[in-house]
Amino acid sequence: MTTTVIGAGITVEGEVTTDEDIVVAGTLRGKVQAKEGVTIESGAVVEADVAASSLVIAGALTGNVSAVERVDLQAGARVIGNVKAARVTIADGAQFKGNVDMDV
Amino acid sequence: MAQARIPNRSDNTREARIGSGARVRGRIHGDGPLVVEGQVEGDVAIVGDLTVMSGGNVEGANIEAASVTIAGALQGDVSAKGPVRLVAGARVRGNLRGSAVSIEEGARFAGRLDCEFDLPPELTNANRSEERGRAGSRR
Repeated sequence: MTTTVIGAGITVEGEVTTDEDIVVAGTLRGKVQAKEGVTIESGAVVEADVAASSLVIAGALTGNVSAVERVDLQAGARVIGNVKAARVTIADGAQFKGNVDMDV
Repeated sequence: MAQARIPNRSDNTREARIGSGARVRGRIHGDGPLVVEGQVEGDVAIVGDLTVMSGGNVEGANIEAASVTIAGALQGDVSAKGPVRLVAGARVRGNLRGSAVSIEEGARFAGRLDCEFDLPPELTNANRSEERGRAGSRR
């Protein structure tokens, strides 16, 4: 299984689809669909709708997020958009604006 | 509180990689290097080295990088500041430009090669036939 890594200096504009994990440390604009986990590292800028099995966000994300399992916003995350997942954590220091839908 | 997987910084600040199960439809640009094991449909313009692994597939109109090494499939025009290398197993269609181009045995290529280099002075002036006679070689 190879993780897709969008390195810190790289910008991807378009759709990214994968069966595996994605780690974004750079910039991504468009749409992301991953069967496994998506990690948005601190310093990353993502302007996209993201669908994954789980998400860990430590960087900036503008867009709607939908995860099958869980979404974790870590300290330093800046998320503007709606989050839909079965489990959600928002750490102290994370910034978030949007709706959270936990399928209640 | 259960904590999700903590990202491991050390192994992903150096290299950008499109994994084998991934597909990117769009433009990729920035500071390289970039390793493609999956599929890329779109232009690539990076400052670093581009490597298309066996199993990788790049289809773009324009591909620019510092150096390009292809073991997989690539379709498009490649323009590299440095060398362009097609290794065994590569299937490339398009025009290649670089400081040097190498095509290994087992690589397949259709297109045009464009290299900037200086021919040695003996070959650039009009005395070609004299040169051949002297060297005694047959072309």
